[in-house]
Amino acid sequence: MQANRGDVNVKQITLTPIKFSSVALEFDELIPDEIYSWSKEDFEKYEVPVGNSRFPLTDYYDIEVEGEAQSPEEVKMIIDGDAGRVKYIGGKMGAGEIIVNGDADLQAGAEMEGGSLTINGNAESYCGREMRGGEITVMGNVREYAGTSYIGEWRGMSGGKLTIHGNAGKQLADAMSGGEIHVMGNCDILAGIHMTKGFIQIDGDVTRWPGGQMKNGAIVINGRLERLLEGFELDAIVTDPEVEGRQFTGKYIKYIGDIGVNGKGTLLLNAEKNRHHL
Amino acid sequence: MEYILKNGIVYDPINEINGEKKDVMFKDGKIVNSVSDSAKVIDVTDKLVMPAGIDVHCHLAGPKLCVGRLYRPEDERRGVKPKTDITRAETGFSIPNCPATGYRFSRMGYGTVVEAAVPPLEAKHTHEEIIAIPNIDIPPLTLFGNNWFIMQFAKEGRIDDIAAFVSAWLKITKGYGVKIVNPCGSEAWGWGMNVHGIDDPAPYWDVTAREVIRALAQANEMLGLPHSIHVHPNDLGHPGNFPTTINSIDCMKDIKKNSEYRNQTIHLTHAQFHCYDGTSWRDVTSGVEPVADYINKHDHVTADMGQVTLDETTTMTADGPMEYDLYELTGLKWANKDIELETASGLVPFIYSGRNPVHSLQWAIGLELALMIEDPWKICLTTDSPNAGPFIRYPRVMSWLMSYQRRAEMMDNKEVHAWAGRKSALGTLDREYDFYDIATITRAGPSKIYGFEDRGHLGAGAIADIAVYDLEPNNFDPTRNAAAVEKAFSNALYTIKDGQVLVKDGEIVKIVSSKHVRTEVEGFEDEEKRILEEIMPFFNRYYTIKFENYVVHDHYAEPSSVYKVNASK
Repeated sequence: MQANRGDVNVKQITLTPIKFSSVALEFDELIPDEIYSWSKEDFEKYEVPVGNSRFPLTDYYDIEVEGEAQSPEEVKMIIDGDAGRVKYIGGKMGAGEIIVNGDADLQAGAEMEGGSLTINGNAESYCGREMRGGEITVMGNVREYAGTSYIGEWRGMSGGKLTIHGNAGKQLADAMSGGEIHVMGNCDILAGIHMTKGFIQIDGDVTRWPGGQMKNGAIVINGRLERLLEGFELDAIVTDPEVEGRQFTGKYIKYIGDIGVNGKGTLLLNAEKNRHHL
Repeated sequence: MEYILKNGIVYDPINEINGEKKDVMFKDGKIVNSVSDSAKVIDVTDKLVMPAGIDVHCHLAGPKLCVGRLYRPEDERRGVKPKTDITRAETGFSIPNCPATGYRFSRMGYGTVVEAAVPPLEAKHTHEEIIAIPNIDIPPLTLFGNNWFIMQFAKEGRIDDIAAFVSAWLKITKGYGVKIVNPCGSEAWGWGMNVHGIDDPAPYWDVTAREVIRALAQANEMLGLPHSIHVHPNDLGHPGNFPTTINSIDCMKDIKKNSEYRNQTIHLTHAQFHCYDGTSWRDVTSGVEPVADYINKHDHVTADMGQVTLDETTTMTADGPMEYDLYELTGLKWANKDIELETASGLVPFIYSGRNPVHSLQWAIGLELALMIEDPWKICLTTDSPNAGPFIRYPRVMSWLMSYQRRAEMMDNKEVHAWAGRKSALGTLDREYDFYDIATITRAGPSKIYGFEDRGHLGAGAIADIAVYDLEPNNFDPTRNAAAVEKAFSNALYTIKDGQVLVKDGEIVKIVSSKHVRTEVEGFEDEEKRILEEIMPFFNRYYTIKFENYVVHDHYAEPSSVYKVNASK
């Protein structure tokens, strides 16, 4: 996936912000799959979508290109600063690496198929929407609908890995059917709603209702869960459980649900922090 | 302005022109026999020329479309195309936004598209959407099959009053003709029920589909409307439904036609959904043979295909109970829309797949219909868009009809499931449509069936709706080049509407307002007045809307093209 990383033949593209636009820029065309052969001149010719128009990328960024790439795998693109008004960073990317040294706007890594995207700040909503492969790491928080389906769509994230070092907002992983999400901070309501497969781990506290209408898959919560949905039935208290090939230590309360939709999903709560449910 | 379309290979079945190299001339939006020397020449030497296409049955404007767009944003993101200097942005695949609907039909060389189901209560909305759809003329069919007034009158056998009601309601809704959907069944849905077969009465009203179909057909012929009744029979999509289909047609064979232009007294729509044999989805087989045989032997009926195109699409019909059944079958999201006193519709997304045995059989059944009905004037090309597939697939359906090789290839290399071959006779049908047949099922036949004397042909006096395709019929074998057929019919070289070039080289070059095509009966005014007076107390009691707000005012239907019918009897 990340061949030659660290080798001399990585082509490094650095975009340094010089002007802020309050109307969002869209970066789904600036993915390694498209730009691996671009020279500096190509970038300077390129017009980026801004709202309903396009303007030269050079209006907004200083561009540096170092090295050569024969394939998208050999590309490392760095947005060296705040991208809080840049949407679709890494959208549909299939290979290579993108690093954002700041925040990212809506839809970062949406429909991503491979490669890696690292956001060293916070990400707005819809981060990793309908991800099919690859890896996204957010060092800060994400807002609503991370790793979810498109609005109205019943087929959600199906592969890849999304890691959030901070907190996650509402409706994480709606309609998830594969892949893995790890939230190291807290999580708001309805994580894993409608999920049919896949794995979610939340290390912090959860407000309420994880796994609403889940049919299958697994959710592990290591923090305190405020309110559980009525559709989850207590199965057992388990010690050192193994979930989808991952080993956890300690006691967990295991529920099966959501029985409202004949679900067979697994919800594990850290027993120590969730005594109030027993 | 005068034009001469030079040296094309012309297919114009109404005027019996079969691939002749000739010029087509038009002036001020109308076809003429001669033009002056100063006429502008458009050179289309050896290219395929036909009248612009006419779609006999499509869902493209109205409340169902809006519900579809609202509840399927995931469909809207397919087919996104940014605005240009001429066009607005396009979105959507099975339920495109209004401008995209017009552009896409126009690019395929179509000029007239029938909106097949307008609930009177939502007619205003339908006309508002027609205003937003450019470049095609749209005749809306008004729904009557589950209307409380009609059911009451049909039960009492008051044909004169039904005629007066239909005449009045076509004016009120600015409609073109009479549509009947699952007669009595959509009313039964208001009680959580359905009807099965044409002799199963609607609850409370105690009237049957047979009575409603016959009564509306008699009224239709009493008025002499340009189109016959347009029927979606009971039991749509149920295995073993073909006897219901034949009964629905056969029950009215004694009704006399009152029109010089059309031949039929009933149009059976999306016949594919109505030709299933068997008792369940496990033992279902094709029921096309008896239906096609009936149509071959009787001249009072025409049909359209409702061809499944094997796409992810959105089903939408004024057959509420059927959509609920579909929801139960798929488990996908379901929307239901009740229209007080008139009808009930539903929507469910649907993924037709060549890997699925039933969908593959449905695919085969649609093609069987077009190949087993011998007279191409009796069958039209439709996909019941978007129900069996979106209208942008018409060119693909044409390519299937034109190539036995392509159909066999699809069955051989597993693009469709083995059921397509095993449970239908498609594999044995080696008939291939030629360009003349294609022009018949997409232009000439629809023109006859709808009584559109001014379109669907290239005779002098017809409106100059013309399509030119980038194919050279004398130098091209459609039986061996399915992909090229599809590409050419998808991107017209020229689409000319009312004498104006709207599409050139597959791209929209001009936008014009769509005309609202409607029927107005003259000579029935006294009867209309009397019936309105009679029903008004009932209207005021049961409708939640005032009659004054119910009527579609003239400015909703501008510009319009009005077919006047003289019914002074």
